[in-house]
Amino acid sequence: MATLVFFATNVLPGDFVAQKIAANNPQGEGGREAVEAQIQKIKEQLGIDDPVPVRYVKYLGSLLRGDFGTSYQTGESALSDFRKGIPYTLQLSLMAFLVSLLTSIPIGIISAIRQDSYIDYGLRFLAILFVAAPNFWVATMLLLWVVNGIDIGPLTIGWEVPLTEHPLLWENPGDSLRLFVIPAVAGGLASGAGVMRLLRSQMLEVLRQDYIRTAWAKGASERVIIIRHALKNALIPVLTIIGLTMATLLSGNVVFEYLFNIPGVGYRILNAIYRRDVPVVQSFVVIIATFIVFLNLAIDVLYGVIDPRIRLS
Amino acid sequence: MAQEQSAGVLGSGIPLSMRDRPFPLRALSSLSRFMRTKPLGAFGLVLIVVLLMMAVLANVIDRVDPDAIVREPAKNCTPEQVEDRSVECFSPELLAQAQSDATLRLRYPASRFQEGSGGGNVVTNAGSSSDHWLGTDGRGRDLYSRIIHGSRLALLVGIGGAVIAVFLGTIFGVVSAYFGGWVDFCMQRVTDALFAFPSLIFLLVFSQVVPDPNKYWITFALGILGVASVTRLARSAVLSTREEVYVLAAETVGASNLRIMLRHILPNIVAPLIVIFTISIGAYILAEAGLAFIGLGDPAAISWGQMVNEGRQLGTARPQMALYVGLAITLTVLGFNLLGDALRDVLDPRMRGRSGRAGF
Repeated sequence: MATLVFFATNVLPGDFVAQKIAANNPQGEGGREAVEAQIQKIKEQLGIDDPVPVRYVKYLGSLLRGDFGTSYQTGESALSDFRKGIPYTLQLSLMAFLVSLLTSIPIGIISAIRQDSYIDYGLRFLAILFVAAPNFWVATMLLLWVVNGIDIGPLTIGWEVPLTEHPLLWENPGDSLRLFVIPAVAGGLASGAGVMRLLRSQMLEVLRQDYIRTAWAKGASERVIIIRHALKNALIPVLTIIGLTMATLLSGNVVFEYLFNIPGVGYRILNAIYRRDVPVVQSFVVIIATFIVFLNLAIDVLYGVIDPRIRLS
Repeated sequence: MAQEQSAGVLGSGIPLSMRDRPFPLRALSSLSRFMRTKPLGAFGLVLIVVLLMMAVLANVIDRVDPDAIVREPAKNCTPEQVEDRSVECFSPELLAQAQSDATLRLRYPASRFQEGSGGGNVVTNAGSSSDHWLGTDGRGRDLYSRIIHGSRLALLVGIGGAVIAVFLGTIFGVVSAYFGGWVDFCMQRVTDALFAFPSLIFLLVFSQVVPDPNKYWITFALGILGVASVTRLARSAVLSTREEVYVLAAETVGASNLRIMLRHILPNIVAPLIVIFTISIGAYILAEAGLAFIGLGDPAAISWGQMVNEGRQLGTARPQMALYVGLAITLTVLGFNLLGDALRDVLDPRMRGRSGRAGF
């Protein structure tokens, strides 16, 4: 994994050194030799004057010791840059995740127990639509409408979106909600639509099982049957999708963070790529990929916790 | 399919109504059956056909060149307007004088000498009109024409990416599952690594690594990203097929590995591959649009994602631009998703609801 990242980022053309030279000395004063000397000096400062294989071994060595390298841009540890971005991304992801669960699970259940009714058709159509609609477009339209104000009879829904500041929830709850709620809804609906579709088909399958009929026969209430007997079994395959959703929310936030000026992880990695800040890109990608691997592992473990049949086999 | 085969095997006595008819009729009748049993899938098919026509006939139906900047027709100046530099108008008298005195062209604005549609103000952000059905964008280009032409990029990226992903993924999946053992082990580790790589970030890095991030590179990158999920799907399909008796029979009569894979295994795993091909197209179109939206698309191509971003920058004054372009993306992706879902139900009922980790 780290190998892949290292070589991918080290072939980035137009490296940071050239950009820095251009910024310091736009006219190229002092001719060719002076520029060459400058390049050499900056490379030594950044510790990248070794050939690529040597740097690769050094990189792996420091990675194993937990040193992710220093940002060329700020001179700070790449890890601290990641740490600064993570609260924003986490808040956005969790809010979107909440929206996605709050919409998909009730709607999936309703759609399944009222199969082939008009409610079911309507909800399914909405779900198909939200899977197809690009999430950045949904966010853009929501943003434009919210800023403009939506007239619903007596009251107008609409507010100023604080796009230039980006307060976190515990710094300024009101403004933070005003800013984050739009991307959270757009991202949450898109991923929720996928979860809802899977949950519905799983519920339909489970509702036909013998143990559901047994539960009806022994006189259990509908609520108990739906939640305790059906939902619990239908959720097992859905869990994979939910885990995947979490992973895509984390990396898919790049678009939302770009759109809403939120300085989260995605925003920072985008900037680092533009600036050819190799250590930052490398460490961010390694951290995110490691996170996804562990997420998949956690889901596999969760399977066993939820479903004893898997634990026994 | 199964019915046709068994009818063919049973042979002689049974009238083979499906087989008797010539090919175009047979295709039409199965198409109409599909349309009747799967109305939503048929709707998706119609959307896709419309999109294909749009892309193929773009130059015929576009009415205006997508890159041309629309200007108001030049108005002739009134005598007092000639000296006012802030007014854009055409002056026949000055044009006649400029024949003898070329310095006049330097002293007056260029619009004084431009007759017809070349002289007037650029028509930016116009609303719908009979000349420009969806109005014009922020730089004065016809929006309807640009949306029509944008379908070409969407189709190229979607279909091209899906072809690459399914082609490579099938080869890897079949080889991996057929040979098993350490081949399988190595290939599965590579697939796992690809899976763990965040896809959007892969695209970000990729778009910066290639010297010239044009549309073909983007298509290629999207295709490579999809290989892992197709490999998994093909592999699991082959694993169950490999144990079939007819594969053993083919081995017994001495068929080569390549022949068994191509003639005996591949035809039996085509159904899930067709389904993932269709659904991938929609996913790739979305991915390209997202990439173009954050400014990493092909700068030379007309891209829907980039147009949504331009529409966003116009702000609340004219939300229609982002709305129309986004609708075009949504309907396109909707078409491929609906068709894919319907095909899944028809071709492979077992796959229903089983989405796997690929997110498709």
